[in-house]
Amino acid sequence: MNKIIIGDHLVKSFGEGDEKHNVLSEVTVEIKEGEFVAVMGPSGSGKSTLMFALSGMDSVDGGNVFFDGKNLSAVEEKELSDIRRTKMGFVFQQPTMLKNLNILDNIIFPSMRDNRKNVANILEKARVLMKRVGIEELESRDITQVSGGQLQRAGICRALMNNPKIIFGDEPTGALNSKSAQEIMDIFSEINASGTAIMLVTHDAKVAARTERVMFMRDGKIVSELKLPKFVGTDIDARVEEVTAKMREIGI
Amino acid sequence: MNFRIIRNDILKSKAISFTTMVFVAVSAMLVSLAAILVVNLSGAIDTLMTQAKTPHFMQMHSGEIDTARLTSFAEQHTNVEEFQVVEFLGIDGAQIMLGDQSLANSVQDNGLSVQSEKFDYLLDLNGHIIHVSDGEIYVPVSYRKNNATEVGDRAVISGKEFIVAGFLRDSTMNSTLSASKRFLVSSNDYADMKNLGSMEYLIEFRLKDFSAIGAFETAYATAGLEANGPTVTYTLFKLMNAISDGMMIAVILFVSVLVVTIAFMCIRFTLLAKIEDDYREIGVMKAIGLRLSDIKKIYLSKYITIAATGSIFGYILSLVFQGRLLENIRLYMGESENASFAYFFGIIGILLVFLAIILYVNFILRSFRKISTAEAIRFGTSQEKSASAKYFSLSRNRLFNTNTFLGAQDVLVRKKLYATSLMVLVLSTFIIIVPQNLSNTISSNSFISYMGIGNYDMRMDIQQTDNISEKADYILKTMNSDSSVSKAAVFTTKTFKAKTEEGTEENIKIELGDHSIFPINYSEGRAPTEENEIALSTLNADELSKKVGDVITLVMEGKEKNLSVSGIYSDITNGGKTAKAVFNDHTADVMWSIISVEFSDKSIVEGKVTQYANLFNFAKVSAINEFVSQTFGSTINSVEKASTASVAVALIITVLVTLLFMKMLVVKDRHSIAVMKSFGFTNADIRVQYISRSIIVLIVGIVVGTLLANTLGEVLAGAMISLFGASSFTFVVNPLSVYLLSPLLMVCAVLIATIIGTSNAGKIKISEHIKE
Repeated sequence: MNKIIIGDHLVKSFGEGDEKHNVLSEVTVEIKEGEFVAVMGPSGSGKSTLMFALSGMDSVDGGNVFFDGKNLSAVEEKELSDIRRTKMGFVFQQPTMLKNLNILDNIIFPSMRDNRKNVANILEKARVLMKRVGIEELESRDITQVSGGQLQRAGICRALMNNPKIIFGDEPTGALNSKSAQEIMDIFSEINASGTAIMLVTHDAKVAARTERVMFMRDGKIVSELKLPKFVGTDIDARVEEVTAKMREIGI
Repeated sequence: MNFRIIRNDILKSKAISFTTMVFVAVSAMLVSLAAILVVNLSGAIDTLMTQAKTPHFMQMHSGEIDTARLTSFAEQHTNVEEFQVVEFLGIDGAQIMLGDQSLANSVQDNGLSVQSEKFDYLLDLNGHIIHVSDGEIYVPVSYRKNNATEVGDRAVISGKEFIVAGFLRDSTMNSTLSASKRFLVSSNDYADMKNLGSMEYLIEFRLKDFSAIGAFETAYATAGLEANGPTVTYTLFKLMNAISDGMMIAVILFVSVLVVTIAFMCIRFTLLAKIEDDYREIGVMKAIGLRLSDIKKIYLSKYITIAATGSIFGYILSLVFQGRLLENIRLYMGESENASFAYFFGIIGILLVFLAIILYVNFILRSFRKISTAEAIRFGTSQEKSASAKYFSLSRNRLFNTNTFLGAQDVLVRKKLYATSLMVLVLSTFIIIVPQNLSNTISSNSFISYMGIGNYDMRMDIQQTDNISEKADYILKTMNSDSSVSKAAVFTTKTFKAKTEEGTEENIKIELGDHSIFPINYSEGRAPTEENEIALSTLNADELSKKVGDVITLVMEGKEKNLSVSGIYSDITNGGKTAKAVFNDHTADVMWSIISVEFSDKSIVEGKVTQYANLFNFAKVSAINEFVSQTFGSTINSVEKASTASVAVALIITVLVTLLFMKMLVVKDRHSIAVMKSFGFTNADIRVQYISRSIIVLIVGIVVGTLLANTLGEVLAGAMISLFGASSFTFVVNPLSVYLLSPLLMVCAVLIATIIGTSNAGKIKISEHIKE
């Protein structure tokens, strides 16, 4: 299978002089088309920074990121925006919604930037997605009138609107209760089953256990990797046990 | 702890805190300056008028004078303390040379006087009564200001040589508004020159009880004493002395109100933005039981710091600048006795500014009460949303492109915040348009006819000479035989006695002649056409409390004559108190005559003026353009300057406030900007959103500002113009500059400020702001 993302010897540091410390030191990572991966690690290990670097939202101090064969460090801001808008999707830990817009508008606004003439198609697609995640009743609600889980579902709809090649999730279930978290993970599995690659950053072994490959980070480096068979809805407890055992083994 | 909070807060928003402080400092400076000037001006005027012993009543008179009759009137009237007749020897400006400069072009009536005996003294620049020696001359202080001459210069008056020994302050004629200027010479020199000019008399009285001036004026008029000239009282002298510096003070006060308003706007939007930012914290503080007044104190203390610092700086600045502004007062009127009070009043002025700001901040902080604790903690934002914003949804939008839509929607949702910048833009538009319209109006041709001057090309004044009627007839005959003259008319002004409501008599100057030849604009009614009709100037109509259709009674040779008021018009000539009628009269003496002439070919006007000036050396011949520019050319000029200055000021304010507002918005919106960027919106997209917010607010601002300027502004400008005696007033608008050029300038200013102000939006890092 083709590689959708390659991070090649990525370096990212914060601070100056003696204070300087590397958040990413020479990290190399690859994600294949349609792959479902998770990045785990303690706070400050560099997992979110890696995600921001791979998605082109943050620049790197060394190394290169290739997305779909294109070197992201070499493209202009405009093209980078185009890539994010048309080929990537994002789901964040906190609902990152625009306050002025209602649920439906928040889902469609990135698509509306380019395809205003296809409003009907955009709306239809948004409604299909909302139905799929179970929030079809909420489209004209204000973002402050719904629960955190419902907002996160809306965020997933927004990420899916442009048929992205990959979805980045930064602790997408971090702010949810376990029932909501499970439902969100079911949705991710479903999305992945339809061919979209997903990269999740998480603390939660239950979340990581749903993926096919877990990368463990510490001090800005990937220290270990765990491969799992594709999740088909069974054996979740055993998978979680495998992930936690690995975590104990490398001491994180 | 409060100190640390304030310091961090101010450091975090350096630009806006600094700007607010600058606005506070400037407004405090202006208010303090105005207070210092008022105290000094009133003190200096009092000192001058006390030292000079200014007359309480002065009647100017040209023609025969019966001094014995006047003396006996003064002796019989119990309220008269002192009485004198001062001679004023009018000298043509062309006959006066100061150094190597001639006063030929002076619009003032210059003349010679000797030092008064009892009162109305001419003072030197130290406030002492001048004792002048033979061969010396003292020059009115206004000529020093123009740099016309210096002490020690040679002066030649009608061929006689003098040495300029110094400058004089004249408590009655100091002001440039007073048409006459007295030069002081010794009695011997005066006697030598008595035949070289035209004699005018100043009949002056000091009263024991000034409050009974009204009764005295009536008694003087009823006694039928000399009255061929203007009458001036102590109050008017005071007003004339105050008016030019008073206007400056008024302008300073007006500007300070403007700057205070802008300081308020800055405070309003920073504070509203801060409250929006701190919504959750405020909720938490309320939840843990802090009192509203405690929470308020945290916010208030920052503004107390800013306002106090600004006020203190403003006061210091006002002390630095006061010298320059006091120069004029010191030169014309001397030192004020209560100068030390001035600093005290300056402090009171800045205290007022300080208190106003604190009250205003308190007023804005009232909104704390409305913050719902639960809502604030749960959502961290206010749940208020206007109904209009709800209907304005992206999924239903077919009209705008997405960026424009997002910009427009933000304006609708956060109306309160944008209202502030809207107000500034309305204000800017207003101060760009009103002075422009005013300047355009008073320099337009149609304005002259509002001012009591008909539309003719040349006027010839015959005044202060004998046989005025014969001379006027002679001129008219000459005009009628000149083939280049298309129209000519004689207007003769005479003084009559009019009966007032109370039954007393008052002098009224009436211009007789055919008023249909060179029509003027009447604010009410029409020109007099019948023998029994009269038109009054606005000031006269107000004073006599007459309206169109009312009857006014004149007393001519003991007989009463009733005239009905046919119209009311604006007038700036002759102090604004005039009347027009068509009846024939042989009872009263002629005060002056004017011959108005229109030529068929406008290009020859200048040549004709020179030709007739040589032919009729007893008349003052002038082109009407020249007359208008000398009469109120300086007003047009200064209004033009003011209008240019206000355009500049308004644009600077617009740029500054928009810039700050945009910078603040970007900081507030960094989360939304990060979200949009993460979903592929480019920096250009974000800029378009901010520009559309600015432009929407600007369009509303320009429309509202223009409407206000043409309604409220017209009323304000009309009120100002009415001081000069004009009544009906409508703007003459130059549509190109007001409706195209000015809005264009505003658009450019706002666009530039928006682009610069939002340049930081591009630098916002998604990774740093997405996690809030």
